[in-house]
Amino acid sequence: MNGLESRRGSTRAILWTALTVLVVLYAFPFVYMLFTSFKTPIETNAIPPTILPSTWTIQNYITALTTQGVPQSFVNSIQTAVISTVVSLVLAVPAAYAVTRYRTRLGRVFILLALVMRMVPAIVVGAPLIAFFHSLGLSDTSFALALAQTTISLPLSIWLLASFFEAVPDELEESARVDGCSRLGSLWRIVIPITRGGLAVAAIFAFLASWNDFIFALLLTSVRAVTTPLQIANFQSQFGLDWGTMTSLAVLYSVPVIVLAIVLQRHIVAGLTLGAVKG
Amino acid sequence: MLRTKLTGSRRVRLPRMKAATAAAVATASLLALSACTPGASTNSSAPVKSITVLVEAGGHAELQPIADLYAKDTGVKVNFVELPYNGLFNRVNSELSTGSVSFDVAALDAIWLPTFAAGLEPMNDLYTPAVTADNFPSVVQEAKVGANFVGMPAFTNSEILYYRTDLFNNSANQAAFKAKYGYDLKPPTTWQQYADVAAFFTKDGMYGAPLPGAEETQYLAALSQAGEKEMVLNSAGTKSTLGDAASLKALDYYTSLAKYAPAGAAAVDWNAAQNLYNQGKSAMMLFWAHAYRQIPTSSPVYGKTGVAPMIAGPAGIAGVPGPYYLSIPRQGAHLSASTAFVKFAYDHNALSADTSLGLVARISALKQYEDKPGYAAYKPMVTTLSAPATITRPANANWQNIVNNALIPMIQKSLQPGADNAALLKAAAAQIDQIVQQ
Repeated sequence: MNGLESRRGSTRAILWTALTVLVVLYAFPFVYMLFTSFKTPIETNAIPPTILPSTWTIQNYITALTTQGVPQSFVNSIQTAVISTVVSLVLAVPAAYAVTRYRTRLGRVFILLALVMRMVPAIVVGAPLIAFFHSLGLSDTSFALALAQTTISLPLSIWLLASFFEAVPDELEESARVDGCSRLGSLWRIVIPITRGGLAVAAIFAFLASWNDFIFALLLTSVRAVTTPLQIANFQSQFGLDWGTMTSLAVLYSVPVIVLAIVLQRHIVAGLTLGAVKG
Repeated sequence: MLRTKLTGSRRVRLPRMKAATAAAVATASLLALSACTPGASTNSSAPVKSITVLVEAGGHAELQPIADLYAKDTGVKVNFVELPYNGLFNRVNSELSTGSVSFDVAALDAIWLPTFAAGLEPMNDLYTPAVTADNFPSVVQEAKVGANFVGMPAFTNSEILYYRTDLFNNSANQAAFKAKYGYDLKPPTTWQQYADVAAFFTKDGMYGAPLPGAEETQYLAALSQAGEKEMVLNSAGTKSTLGDAASLKALDYYTSLAKYAPAGAAAVDWNAAQNLYNQGKSAMMLFWAHAYRQIPTSSPVYGKTGVAPMIAGPAGIAGVPGPYYLSIPRQGAHLSASTAFVKFAYDHNALSADTSLGLVARISALKQYEDKPGYAAYKPMVTTLSAPATITRPANANWQNIVNNALIPMIQKSLQPGADNAALLKAAAAQIDQIVQQ
């Protein structure tokens, strides 16, 4: 009995060690970025590199936040990501519902085409959009940028939501229709409440696609709608690489996403396990 | 249960319709607000109140004093749009190719001009004899693509020699160096002296000089120093010149310096090289002239750095000119206003000297400042850029492709132990031939 407990203890210790190593490896890039953001300019590019700062400084954060355009870029990023997420979901919900419920050949082709859209490099879509938005007078606006980013997040949202909607038994909707509910009504009252975890997953992926977008921001913004990823990149030039400021800005930029992920964590886990025990 | 909800839903239909209407109105308002943007089409006959200048990240600093004076003198505001280096290339490329141009002027790297030339406004009228005489021949040459000048010089740059004055002036170092090499310790002027000094200081955790193996221009400078008259490509731009005796001599010398630099030179870029020197871990470096004003006050080499012209190979001193130009897109909305600003910027080029990087283009501006404190890098830059062996990079639209896919990989492979430099040069030449003949 003691031997068995000892073996169990050893196994648990090995598992914990392996888990700790994995967590450290996984978190290392972020932790290293965090430490770098507190280093002096000389130390950020030290050869050999250091992990912990020898002198801690918050100067990089002050520089980042007082650089012209940086605070506004945060506002622009939030605005753009929210618009893009809302537009994505508003369009993806009916599309995914139609594909999963009507199950036509056209629907299958449509969902395949949506997947193909994900395979097209963003710059291929972005270049023609320059002229398109210019002709509409929408150049350098968060709305135009959000629409452009929707071309990337919408296909993913449709695919995600289609898989979640598929997991909702037809019988539930049929019961609702027997009770006089329309198709749209059953989507609104039955399917969406059941799959809200899936919606949260789709929302956070759409939000992240916009939040981290660089190419569309590069091509479609100039002054007013510039987002933070572009501002971060601007600290690297031919004449120098300001790692300290870049990393401090990156740390600040990751905070809203971390908060969002924590807030939506319960829904995300629920969404990811949706349909896992179907049947 | 469902029935109850259904009944309830009928009761809430009206508020939901209101909500939908509000959302539609909000969307329409957002669209209308969004339409009021600088990118909206403008009436070209109306007086121009502002122009947009596209610059590399941080690049507006050199132009800001000029823009401020321009606004004061003319009432025309200059709005800068900053983009990362590669991003600027992609943006200009996309806008010129789609014909939808959002900027009036762009500050462009010399190596991009051949790629963008077809979409840029010719500026032949601005190149008067006085302009030609007040710029380095290489800078004038790079501005011309085909029959047209497509950019006015904004600033130029060149690699020069940086050295630690505290180490060079140390009497113990001077005596030890003379005893070992038979001549005085001084800022090196030749390949041999540079290698000797680098070897002398590579000890006790100190390196002679960093070797930026992830960059191409230091090797290109060595090519010119070795006597190459055409850099990498022949004058027609149809065939590579790599593989000849001068290119091998340059690569052999370049790779021989790796032992005086930290291990892993193949991964060292400009930032790493500059930082090694600024950390006080390197006795010398060959680096772009702007770095002189970038040495942090907290650096152990601050106030202890001397500068000298680029070193000389068998053909003499040579560097790689690194100019930037102000160019105007042919399809820009305000051609005459843009041209007026570019001319103004050139006329007031000296104002850029008093900025963080302090880079200027005109020889007269360099000479105006060269004896002032903080501008010690100007004289070595003038000497290097005026040297007969200094040649420009080829005006070829494939140049960036050649650099990324042939030159840098070749240099990095040459820094591996046991590398066959002759074979590497031939392989790179073959690859470059393929690129330019596509």
